[in-house]
Amino acid sequence: MNESFKPRDHLFGLALAGGYVMWLLRTARTLGFARDEGFYFRAASDYARWFSLLFSEPMRAVQQASIDPIWTSNHEHPALMKSLFALSWMFLHEKHHVFTDASTAFRFPGMLMSGLAVYVTYLFAARLFSVRAGIVAGALLALMPNVFYHAHLACFDAPIMAMWAACIYVYWRSVVRGGLGSAILAGVMFGLTLETKHNAWILPAVFVPHALIVLWPKLREPLRQGILPIPANLLAMATIGPLVFYTLWPWIWNDTIPRLQEYVNFHVHHEYYNMEFLGKNYYGPPSPPLYAPIMIAATVPAITLVLFAGGFLASLRAVLTRLRDLIVSEWRRVPPRANGAEAELLLLLAFVMPLAPFFLPKTPIFGGTKHWMTAYPFLAVFAGKAFEVAARWLEHLLAHRPARMQKLAFAGFSIAVLAAPVAVTAHSHPFGLSAYTPLVGGTAGGADLGLNRQFWGFTTQSLAPYFERAPRNASVFIHDTAWDSWARMLDERRLRPDLRAVGAPHDAMYSIVHHELHMAEVDYAAWVAYGHVAPDFVLTHDGVPIVSVYKR
Amino acid sequence: MPVWARWGVALLCLVGVWELAAHVWQVTHVPSDGDWAAARKVVEGKLKPTDLVLFAPGWSEPLGREHFGDRIASIERMARPDESRFLRAIEVSMRGATRGEIAGWPVIESERIGPFTVRIAENPHPVPVKDDLVTRVQPERMTLARVDGEAVSECAWTRSQVQSGGLGAGPAVPEYRFMCPSGGFAGVTVMSPSDYSARRCIYVPPAGGATVMRLTFRDVAFGKILTGHHTIYVEADYAGNHGTPVVLAFSSRGQSLGKFTRRDGQGWTPFETDTRDLDGQTADLVAEVSSGSAHRRVYCFEASTR
Repeated sequence: MNESFKPRDHLFGLALAGGYVMWLLRTARTLGFARDEGFYFRAASDYARWFSLLFSEPMRAVQQASIDPIWTSNHEHPALMKSLFALSWMFLHEKHHVFTDASTAFRFPGMLMSGLAVYVTYLFAARLFSVRAGIVAGALLALMPNVFYHAHLACFDAPIMAMWAACIYVYWRSVVRGGLGSAILAGVMFGLTLETKHNAWILPAVFVPHALIVLWPKLREPLRQGILPIPANLLAMATIGPLVFYTLWPWIWNDTIPRLQEYVNFHVHHEYYNMEFLGKNYYGPPSPPLYAPIMIAATVPAITLVLFAGGFLASLRAVLTRLRDLIVSEWRRVPPRANGAEAELLLLLAFVMPLAPFFLPKTPIFGGTKHWMTAYPFLAVFAGKAFEVAARWLEHLLAHRPARMQKLAFAGFSIAVLAAPVAVTAHSHPFGLSAYTPLVGGTAGGADLGLNRQFWGFTTQSLAPYFERAPRNASVFIHDTAWDSWARMLDERRLRPDLRAVGAPHDAMYSIVHHELHMAEVDYAAWVAYGHVAPDFVLTHDGVPIVSVYKR
Repeated sequence: MPVWARWGVALLCLVGVWELAAHVWQVTHVPSDGDWAAARKVVEGKLKPTDLVLFAPGWSEPLGREHFGDRIASIERMARPDESRFLRAIEVSMRGATRGEIAGWPVIESERIGPFTVRIAENPHPVPVKDDLVTRVQPERMTLARVDGEAVSECAWTRSQVQSGGLGAGPAVPEYRFMCPSGGFAGVTVMSPSDYSARRCIYVPPAGGATVMRLTFRDVAFGKILTGHHTIYVEADYAGNHGTPVVLAFSSRGQSLGKFTRRDGQGWTPFETDTRDLDGQTADLVAEVSSGSAHRRVYCFEASTR
């Protein structure tokens, strides 16, 4: 525990988070819209109508006749982020014109959430280890190409990463500080996390084992008497959490049970999507056990991974030592502390639990790394811990050298750690899902290995310069681009607004093909439709085909 | 502080600097349009009509097709049934990659052109084609009939709109095709079997039940064997063997030449039959396609005499 953490140290984390949000805003215009964003733009636009009604006629707004026609839109996901997208659009685009692009207003809450993830990562590492560990941890989270990509989007993956970390942070603080207020805050936070995305339902697997170990001495005696004492924070999460979940989601205000059943069934029986891994297309479970480890190794910068390995192993060792104490009944001599190895146990659980489902035989692998991104803040915290240890070694090694030399050495060490993640992440834009790290040979190395090139058709906008020379009103088969995403790109003049989208290559003057293994049939359909196999243009990232364009 | 601490710090610095240097190298060593043009010029000078052209690694093929064009990267080469018909292969390779299809073919020439290596490999066991049924899908050289018991309906050669779509739409229905009055068609398409390779073939979905789609190829030049492949579109090719098998039966002069059953989950399935009795002769060849059910039987075949 870093006892020297002061209130003003929050400023470092806030600056880091603010800088990240600014970077996201500056690069948002050059990133095209992903498939799912198209769906959420539409849902948020629908919800905005309801919020308008709520502000003008609240009594009418809460009636089922007003709720159902609007909130049926995209009701397979809870409401928090889409509500924020809607409110951001209403106030920051429509009313106050803060953002010129409607899409940036829709995306802004997701960007703020990404900033929150950086801030909470900083806080964890800064409070547990040191401020500089916090700064490096926050920066290393921000400097992961896949995180940087998702952080731009009006989707739920970066927000659930942020809320997962924030909820665990609030829970931890409630353990450290105790008291009813912090317990209630934990309950509210859990409800907000449930309202963000369904990953939150895994959180009890983090909290319950942690609470059992930390509170074991207090629980032992009541348990002997047949009483099951439930800690206030867990009780708050079990009660206030679902209440917040219910309150913020108008769709489930009516016909609650069947609609909740539908929500659960949608995710339990989610349709499978195709995903390439090591040159093979997977279309459903079982998930290859190496999928998550290899994808992490291929998408997280190597220096981050090396630091993480050091920090993780050190924490694991500390935690195992404490658990051994528990087993040999020395717990009474060294009572559990919320801030020692017990806090690191929380970090371990928070890192492991999001990854655990991907080692189960029934978990499909669609969605790539975004489905375990909730583990990444903790990966970065472990990296921050290792950085702090190494920085102390460096200080010790140079203890007898002049102060100026010590400062230079530390600066050099910090640059050595951060330079590659900065370069790799900045270069990955706007091809974040296609980019792989130098460890596997970059984007071309990822292609050599047969790793997924992209999904969601988000690269369409990068064809804008090519389509500048297309004839007026040219028709384009838009392949994996969602119709709503295409329409918004035209609305915002990211693509030439006279271009016309069509649903089949044979109807189009141009056909685009997003390169993914299972999309090969679309390539071949274009060959047959146009009678030739040569694309007119191939969009590449580092020499690797991303999108082919065929011209009639 | 552990004694190896200094090495720990040095290791971290080394990893960080290596990663940055590797990144810079990787993003700056990418073939340019000029490199592709230079490789094309070399290949053009060496190419023979009986040569296969390959791009390695396989993911570079869209760029190869873009830069080499349809004459060199032709549909016959890009959507070939297999490599056996080609006498040589010209492989345009980068990043030290080679294509598995020609593993074991002796390399007779190799030339470095910028980031590319152009290799010529000789097919150790070429099997030249005498007659390719895929090239015979035209009214002068083939007929299609739908046979429902005693009723035989001739199918007309038509020029219609291509029918294509996005993911899940299946192979494109070609512009020129035989169309049967009571349903069914045959035409040349490019199919995606379960390995997602491009395969040019005769798209002739079975009509189901006892109905037979009968393709009669006129005046086929026979050799010692009739060889080919058949498949079902990847998204209809259930690995669990749930679909109804498709039967492809060949005959000539009233004599059966072989019957091949395509079951689900078999990918791009090869078949071969002995035609030595007809070697050197010219005769009509009948191919009959049938299946107990038409449900998701998005079927095609290719065959050639050798």
